[in-house]
This record gives sequence, C-alpha cells and structure tokens, in this order.
Amino acid sequence: MRNKLIRLFEFAGVLAALCVLAIFVIMIATTIMRETGIKTGGSDDIVAWLTASAAFLGLAATFRHGDFVRMSLVTEKLPIAARQRTEAFCLMLATAFTGYIAYSICRFVYESYEFNDYANGLIAIPLWIPQAPFAFGTVLLFLAFFDQTIHVLRKNEPDYVVAVRERHARGDFSEDI
Amino acid sequence: MGLIEIAALLLALLLVLLCFGVWIGISLAMVGWFGLAFFGTSPPDKNLFTAFWNATASWELAALPMFIWMGEILFRTKLSDEMFEGLSPWLRRIPGRLLHVNILACGLFGSVSGSSAATTATVAKVALPELLRRGYDEKVAIGSLATAGGLGILIPPSITMVVYAVAADASIIRIFLAGFLPGFLLMAIFSLYIAVWAWRNPDKMPPIEPSMSLRQKLYASRRLIPVSLLIGFITWVLIAGIATATECAAYGVLGSLAIAWWSKMLTWENFWTGLLSSTRVSCMIMFILAGAKYLSLTMAFTGIPIALADWVSSLQLSPYSLIVVLAIVYILLGTALDGISMIVLTAAVVLPMIQKAGFDLIWFGIFIVLMVEIAEITPPVGFNLFVLQNMTGKDSNTIARASIPFFICLVACIILLTVFPQIVTWLPDFVMGKEK
Repeated sequence: MRNKLIRLFEFAGVLAALCVLAIFVIMIATTIMRETGIKTGGSDDIVAWLTASAAFLGLAATFRHGDFVRMSLVTEKLPIAARQRTEAFCLMLATAFTGYIAYSICRFVYESYEFNDYANGLIAIPLWIPQAPFAFGTVLLFLAFFDQTIHVLRKNEPDYVVAVRERHARGDFSEDI
Repeated sequence: MGLIEIAALLLALLLVLLCFGVWIGISLAMVGWFGLAFFGTSPPDKNLFTAFWNATASWELAALPMFIWMGEILFRTKLSDEMFEGLSPWLRRIPGRLLHVNILACGLFGSVSGSSAATTATVAKVALPELLRRGYDEKVAIGSLATAGGLGILIPPSITMVVYAVAADASIIRIFLAGFLPGFLLMAIFSLYIAVWAWRNPDKMPPIEPSMSLRQKLYASRRLIPVSLLIGFITWVLIAGIATATECAAYGVLGSLAIAWWSKMLTWENFWTGLLSSTRVSCMIMFILAGAKYLSLTMAFTGIPIALADWVSSLQLSPYSLIVVLAIVYILLGTALDGISMIVLTAAVVLPMIQKAGFDLIWFGIFIVLMVEIAEITPPVGFNLFVLQNMTGKDSNTIARASIPFFICLVACIILLTVFPQIVTWLPDFVMGKEK
C-alpha cells in the first residue's frame, strides 16, 4: 500500500515535469507562429494553466526529495531526542494544515464544477478542467505529509532527510538555489 | 487590538513556526490563515483557493521553471572547463593574474544562468582545483568564488529577479536591463580589490607563467565560442522582438540544449534527470510564492502594510536612513533565510514603505538582489557557503571569513548604487523610455 502511494507521488512528479516540457514547447511554438503570422490565441492561457499544474502536481515528490526549504538553524542545535520530537510536531502541524489546503481547494474547484464556471480568456472551457490537477496535487501533498508523519512516529528517519544527504554526497547542488 | 499589535503577533507567530523548522511555504500560508480567521472579515478558505490559484496560474511565472531548467542543463555540460581555458591566457600579465578568472567566469556564466549557487558550483568545479594547483592563495580564491557567484543573480537572466518582479508586480524586462550596469560595476570592484591585494602581497602569488603569443591566445579563446553564442542568441531573440522576456527563457533552454548536444553531453538520462530536478526546484519556489500570496492577501485585508508604511513615514526618516535600516534588516534576515524566501516574506510590507519614501521599484529590485547576494555568503545559512563547503571540505565559517573582503566590496557597490541610482535606472530608461 505504502509503496503504491510513493509510486503515485513520483508519477505525479513526472507529470509535473511533462507540464514544464509542454510549457517549453508551447512557448517556442507561439513565437514561431507569431513570426509566420498564424494566430496564437489562447496559448498564454494554456501556459498559465500548465504552470499551475506543474507547481502543484510536483509538490509531493518535491517534499519527499527534500527540496522544500526550511530553517534548520535552531533545530540543528537540539539534542537528538528533542529534535525527533520537534520533527514529529512539525510534520503533524503540516499534515493538518495541508489537509486544510487540500480541503479548501477541492471544495472550490468542485463548486466551480457544479456552477459550471467558464474560463473568461480566449479558450472557453469549464474552469474545473485546468483546476483539477491543481486540486489533485494538494491532495497528494497532504497524503505525502501524512505518510511521513506515520513514518517518523515509528522512529524512522524522514525520507526527505535521507534524500538530501544522498544528493549532497554525490556532490550535486543543482537543486539548491 | 491595534493594527501594529496584530502585525507584531503575526510576525511572532511566523518566527516561532520558522524556528521550529516548519517548511517556509507552509509557515507563510498558516500565518495567512491565522490572520484571516481571527482578524479578517473574508472567508479564509475561499481566499486560500484564490491566492494559490492566482499565484501559480500565471503566464509570467512560467519563465521560472525555464530559467531553472536552463541552469540545470548548463551545469551538466563542459562549459566551465571551456571558460577557464578560454579566459586564463589573457590574464597572465595583469596584477592578480588568474584570480580574475573567478570574477570573469562568474560574470560570463551569470549572463546565462539565473542562480547564484549554480554559478558558484559551475565555476568552482574547474577554477578552484586549477588555481590551487598553480599555487594561488586559497583564501582569496575561495572568497572571490563565494561572492562572485552572486553575479549569477545580478546579471540577467535571474531567478531572483523573476521572483521579485512577480512579487512586486514590476516589469521583468526592466529589472533584467537594470541588472547589467550594477553587475559590471560589481565585477570591476571585485577585480580592483584582487589587483590591489596581489600588488600588496607579491609573496603570496605563484611564479609567473610564460606568456603566450596573441595567436595562441586567440586560438585558446575559441573555447569561449559556445557561451558567447548562447549569450548572443538570447539577446538577439529578445532585441529582435521575436520573444518576450518570459519567452526568451524558453529560448535559453533551447540554446542550452544545443550546447549540451554539441558537446556530446546530451544523453537521454541527463535530459530527464535535469528536467525532473528543475521541476522540483520550481515547485518549491512556486509553493513559497503561493503561501506568500495568501499571506499578502491577509495583510491587504487587515491593512497592516499601509499602517506600517504610515508609521515608518511618520518617523520622518530620510530616504538614506530608511535604506540603511532596511539593509541591516535584510542582512539579519539573510543570515537565517534563503534569498527567495527573504523577498517574498518582506515584499508585502516593505514595498508600500519604499514607494511612499519615493524609491523606484526597479531600483529597489536591484538593491534587494544585492542583499540576497550578501545573504548567500553570511553564515550560518548561505547557499554559496554550502556549495563551497562541499567542494573544498572546509567548514562554512572559514569560507565566510575568506569572503569578508569581498563582502565589503558588495557593501561599497550598494553604497555607490544608492548615491548614484542612475547606474541602475539609466539602461532600462534608455532602452524602453522612462516609466510613467
């Protein structure tokens, strides 16, 4: 069960990467079409929606790979036992709040489905379609936090800590801005 | 409770959450929720939805994953070897000699990269071992690399500038243009320091290497062709009006892919790992932006930023003292936070203040980018320090100490830009006309 969930997080991360790839292709295509005089109506809307989809679909994978930034200045100084307790506390707090985020976003996306809201740009499609990946991503983020909370409460080292350590050991800093 | 007390309470809550190690994006959103739920009149869940959607479903923001991806591709090419070999023959006679490679290579790479840590890592990968092998002073070599890596975000393109432009609702292209002259000024200040240092410490310099003939120098410089072509290509696409500032990011990716393909580094695996990891970095930044947007929405409802701006202007600070106070606040914040978080955390509160005091938003963007550069080299948290710590095996405090002279150069640059703001505003005004 847990393995399936983790595969789902990674799969959503791949979908996010495909969104980024699509942004790249559409941007280049738009400029070429503009130069050759073909109408490019609506491509800006699609790029905007893809950006939102990329941002949220990738969240769970981003969190699990340890790419979410946090301030470790104070917690690093704590003794091990206290640090584990703080970690568990942070995770529980974040699980609760990401749960709230997922609930609020799903609720209003569902509302826009029910009231049949339409996008008011050049592409007139129901707004819930581009918003669905956005809502789905927040649910995955909540599940990822929930999973790590259980993992840490069972006295394991969090996956995101292990991932960063392994990446830095390879000398790879490409994910630090 | 008065607005200032509410502001203090929200700030205290944010600090507590951050200190506990709650992830920055989540902390921002939580404080936003707290403010709306207890002091607001608007439903917090509806606003959360609106803020998260509006912050990320944005065409301008699409430039962010593009610039990050571009840096990722270039990091995996041989560009850094080529820059070292192409630049070094020209620098063997001037005081400070090959130490200037650090500055020039960071400036050159900075004009194709938008990240400070990526610039430091890319240049250091080759330049640092080469300089140490030739017997150059380790302290100056490390210090100059740690600091000059910041040119990656000052010379456009720049991820930091995109984030600022989105947060401040300013024009990306104007801020990009504004970065050029300060970038060159900073390079000149760094190089001047290195020359003076080398002139005063001849005993710490290695023996002079034989000079090359002009022909040989020019031949060695052929290695600079790929990076120059890339810079030329992006500039041409932009100036010719083929692409906007946002779209030119996609052309940057295209050019970087071409370079990677040409130097036979473009394997399917490299392409895919680069894309996945740059997507994750973009997700991280965009999540922080979403959280910050929610918090600024809360702020706008409570009216705190305007109250604070009024309060600060009632103190009757002169514009210069306001800048000094802000600089101190940013240096303090920068010791503990990374640059992106620093910008989005403060934008909602500081920008109204700055505008009220009569500063230009574009000028302030450059100021804040320089503050972020300082943040990258101030311990305990500074990404450039971490990068060099890993590459040299020295602890980050030693690296920070080595950067102190260059830190002073940065401060000198900020003072010059504050006294002569035209250095920042001249180029964008010249190219695009004065802003209304």
